[in-house]
Amino acid sequence: MSSSANQSSLIKVENLSWQVNDKNILEKISFNVKKGEVIGIIGPNGAGKTSLLRCLLNHQNNTTGNIYFKNKSITQYSAKQIAKSFAVVAQKSTPIFALSVFDVVRMGLLPHKGMFTLDSDYDRHQVEISLERVGLSSLINEQFNVLSGGEQQRVLIARALVQKAEVLFLDEPTNHLDVYYQHQILQLVQSLNITVVMTVHDLNLAGHYCQRLLLLNNGSLVCDNNPDQVLTSQHLTDVFNLTCHRDQDPITKSPRVSFSLNKHSAADTNLNKSAPASGHINQHLLQDVHQGNRTPSNIS
Amino acid sequence: MRKSSLIYLILALLTLISAALALTFGPAKISSQQIIECIFGICSTPVNEMIIWQVRIPRVLVGLVAGMGLAIAGAILQNTTRNPLADPYVFGIVSGAALGATIATITLGNQLTVALPLAAFLGALFSVFIVVAISTALKNPEQLLLAGVAVSFMLTAISQFILYLGEPFATNRVLFWLMGSLARVEMSNFYVISGVLFISLLVVTAYHRQIDALLLGDESAKSLGVNVNKLRLLMLAICAAITATVVAYCGGIGFVGLMIPHIVRQFIGVTTLPLIIGSSFVGASFLVWVDVGARSAIESAEVPLGIITSAIGSIFFIAIMLRAKTK
Repeated sequence: MSSSANQSSLIKVENLSWQVNDKNILEKISFNVKKGEVIGIIGPNGAGKTSLLRCLLNHQNNTTGNIYFKNKSITQYSAKQIAKSFAVVAQKSTPIFALSVFDVVRMGLLPHKGMFTLDSDYDRHQVEISLERVGLSSLINEQFNVLSGGEQQRVLIARALVQKAEVLFLDEPTNHLDVYYQHQILQLVQSLNITVVMTVHDLNLAGHYCQRLLLLNNGSLVCDNNPDQVLTSQHLTDVFNLTCHRDQDPITKSPRVSFSLNKHSAADTNLNKSAPASGHINQHLLQDVHQGNRTPSNIS
Repeated sequence: MRKSSLIYLILALLTLISAALALTFGPAKISSQQIIECIFGICSTPVNEMIIWQVRIPRVLVGLVAGMGLAIAGAILQNTTRNPLADPYVFGIVSGAALGATIATITLGNQLTVALPLAAFLGALFSVFIVVAISTALKNPEQLLLAGVAVSFMLTAISQFILYLGEPFATNRVLFWLMGSLARVEMSNFYVISGVLFISLLVVTAYHRQIDALLLGDESAKSLGVNVNKLRLLMLAICAAITATVVAYCGGIGFVGLMIPHIVRQFIGVTTLPLIIGSSFVGASFLVWVDVGARSAIESAEVPLGIITSAIGSIFFIAIMLRAKTK
């Protein structure tokens, strides 16, 4: 379980389960989120990452177990109260109509506004400051639809900043982004200094940017710990059903993982030792991953 | 002054000018000077007084609020369903009104002054009730539209079957009513439509931020604290009330709710408040001028409004498709 147990929990999840047609989507999941932590939820497709995120946001009915936010059950909060505390950056959104960047960021004011209140100069200032923090103030009047994937994600993060939430939830924030934008988004998220819970497909990015990782498989929590303890060859080989090789990034010192296609044996390696030979194709794949041309997610 | 305020001011002035100019059109030759005297002073003849106060002013005022209402209903439906093709017609509201009018005409004969609009209103509400009942089971905006289309066809089939069995005179009456006209409107109609519009606009203004949140998707809106299903049903009910009231007095006037928000979105904005304000003015001016065209196109006869709006609307959409293809 978590290494920093002495800190007070902002979010506490106890035995959370969710079933659909007798299939366990989530099964008895328990963990805590402490203030200021950056937590990554990782696991293979269908492991329950996005479902867990939806449950934390109280968007999912028919769940069992308890979720507490500031020691109060999340079901006791109104939707508006939750929106004041939790902000969400969803996967790529493509609006039908030509919304401007200002329109999208302005949406973050919603939980703080009464029914008949119009936008004030202060509100506009808030939007401008948030866009400045994500480095997009020059695009305030641009159409959201025509921005790149990375810029759209940053606009949605600016919206979350306007929302003034205490916890930021991100669902696959680096999906569809190239390597440059992946790092740019996650560095931005890290620099916000708020509590972050995000689902991440790329294990190396998760290991580098998250303080804690929750590894899910088939709806169950396999491991909850710091990246060094979660991203082990044993855990990842078992969960992803591929031979996992683990070492350390020579520059960032973060855990680094790569996979080969056939599951033979788990092997922890370090930089001083050569990776175990696991076939001709696998060596090429490993080389590719280490050079940053491929990520583990697109290999699997 | 902000750019948007300036645009609204210009649109309001254009609407006012449209209404004033529309008063000068009609079979009776009345000069602008006489019209101004009639409105702000004493009419030169009792006939002019009757034409101005009992025919032209009610007609122009009802034209203004009817155009406003249909355009607002279209704008709300398009934003809440995130579908640029949403329109009160697509949701079966007009088919329901037609069914109500058909039943009233066939069963009541000539006692229709109050019964026809009332039956049309009840028919429109009935169609919305069915669409809402289906949509509560579906919970998907795309399917909500499909439910509306299905209900529309179903109610049209029932109307046509009743008309097929009914006498030809009643059939003619319903068919003419369905084509839309402002020829029989009264000042009381203006008050009723204005009242419904006023309440609707209050509700829409109260929820404008929530409707905006829907533009980025249901999940996004939920994360901002919006109860998506309740909001969508409330807005559908608002649109039904506006459209049913307009259709009850003016008959079927198509394409206004589809076309006007589409134009306004290009020049003013896509979020709810600018779209609603812009659509109100443009819709009002548009219908007033369409009515002028309907009165003036053929001497000693009137072209039904629905024919003109549908003709303009279809050309408009072909133009949009061609423009989109060349882009």
